[in-house]
Amino acid sequence: MRQDLPIADASGGFSYAEDGQDSSCRSTERVTVTMSDAIKIELTGRIDSGNAEEVKKDLLSRAGDDRDTPVILDAQDLEYISSAGLRAILQLRKDHEQLTIINVSPEVYDIFDMTGFTQMMEIHRAYKEVSIEGCEVIGKGANGTIYRIDKDNVVKVFNNSDALEEIEHEREVAKLALILGIPTAISYDVVRVGDTYGSVFELLNARSFSTILATEPDKLDWCVNEYVDLLRKIHSTVVPEGKLPDMKETALDWAKFTSEYLPEEEGSKLRALVEAVPHNDHMIHGDYHTKNVELTDEEVLLIDMDTLAVGDPVFELGSMFNAFIGFSEYDHNKILEFQGFDYETAAKFWDKVLKAYAGTDDPDVIKGIEDKAKIVGYTRLIRRSIRRKGLETEDGKAEIELWKGELISLLDKVDSLAI
Amino acid sequence: MTIEKTRNDGDFLVKVSGRLDTTTAPELERELEDGLQGVTKLTIDFSDLEYISSAGLRVLLRAQRMMNNQGEMIVRGVNDIVKEIFEVTGFTDILTIE
Repeated sequence: MRQDLPIADASGGFSYAEDGQDSSCRSTERVTVTMSDAIKIELTGRIDSGNAEEVKKDLLSRAGDDRDTPVILDAQDLEYISSAGLRAILQLRKDHEQLTIINVSPEVYDIFDMTGFTQMMEIHRAYKEVSIEGCEVIGKGANGTIYRIDKDNVVKVFNNSDALEEIEHEREVAKLALILGIPTAISYDVVRVGDTYGSVFELLNARSFSTILATEPDKLDWCVNEYVDLLRKIHSTVVPEGKLPDMKETALDWAKFTSEYLPEEEGSKLRALVEAVPHNDHMIHGDYHTKNVELTDEEVLLIDMDTLAVGDPVFELGSMFNAFIGFSEYDHNKILEFQGFDYETAAKFWDKVLKAYAGTDDPDVIKGIEDKAKIVGYTRLIRRSIRRKGLETEDGKAEIELWKGELISLLDKVDSLAI
Repeated sequence: MTIEKTRNDGDFLVKVSGRLDTTTAPELERELEDGLQGVTKLTIDFSDLEYISSAGLRVLLRAQRMMNNQGEMIVRGVNDIVKEIFEVTGFTDILTIE
């Protein structure tokens, strides 16, 4: 058994120091502990009546006397545990109520499950290992690569080995959306792929709407209709309370940040406008641009669900405005890089989408909705750019000034954001 | 995919065999749309179903919603592969599986 040195990071997640066999260095390592800390102990081989007493003593001494210290048992190399072994764990739990067992194999999980341990304490299964050796690469994005692992399934392997929390989040919200009737791919499992993690999805034989708009311009009107139909479906879906984050909270953060860079009057009006948006329990996708809408054989599907939230449609329209217009307003070439179609196509698409979504061609109504969306959009863009050191380059500064000018003039005439 | 239908007053038995995926799901959808009027008990027999994709799950979801308003729906004969899909997607909580 080896004991790792646990160091909790500021976000509350655990990370482990390389090797902590020498307990004398613990006090120095613990200087970095900011929130809670945990002791991690590995369980190995077989634990049965032959060695249970020894294991128990070992566990108790390693876990230490501090009852408040959470203990994590890593069962990755645990092959079998008998009732005597289970009693040793119960003994440990008497002193350390915050006991978690991780990386449990299916066989050992069955034992924990049958004996009721899974009801008593937090027990996590080990992630299945998937090999991508020789698998066909069917897609590559900024975050990772998609491999086909068999006839019906793909695995999206993440570049960042710390992405586990995000992967689990995306999987959870994708599952929720599917149950609520949103057409999206089944997310089967989170798996281990070498040193990193992946998410297993059903294989979609699909093309994104960005690709269709870029290669078949005559399908623009068809795309508008399908895209708006799906958008309406998302926005008419009621989400049970607490299942998804509230977009208004996120938008308030943007407003607080960006208002610091605006004249005082407009800055406080911006915060007040976002503050005044009523709570809304309908779903929004949060990143609804044409790369995230795909056409399969018969159906239009939504992907990239990690930004799913609840809130007023204005927050959705704000991010859509950015994707088609705002983001490339200063440098029109950006859209070509990002979406594969040009700025004129994007502007035409955005205009038609707004009209179809609003169900009217009335220019005043459309302008009213667009102005609200722009306020949300510019607020977000300015923050994003400043945080990415946009103020440190000439082009960046000019771009931010353009957005700021637009935002200030909109704030002078718009009196509510909700749609 | 093949669909066999047996109607007996308010009882409607639909046996789906083969693969229920994006290419075949619309056909089942049409059959259910056309056939559910007056049905108080819908039984879907999956004993010869090999695979179900998200498109298939959505057809079940819509059928379940319709049947919530007019009676009951039962899914039976589910094999291990399909059962696992129901489990990981949370459909075991929505459907009545026998």
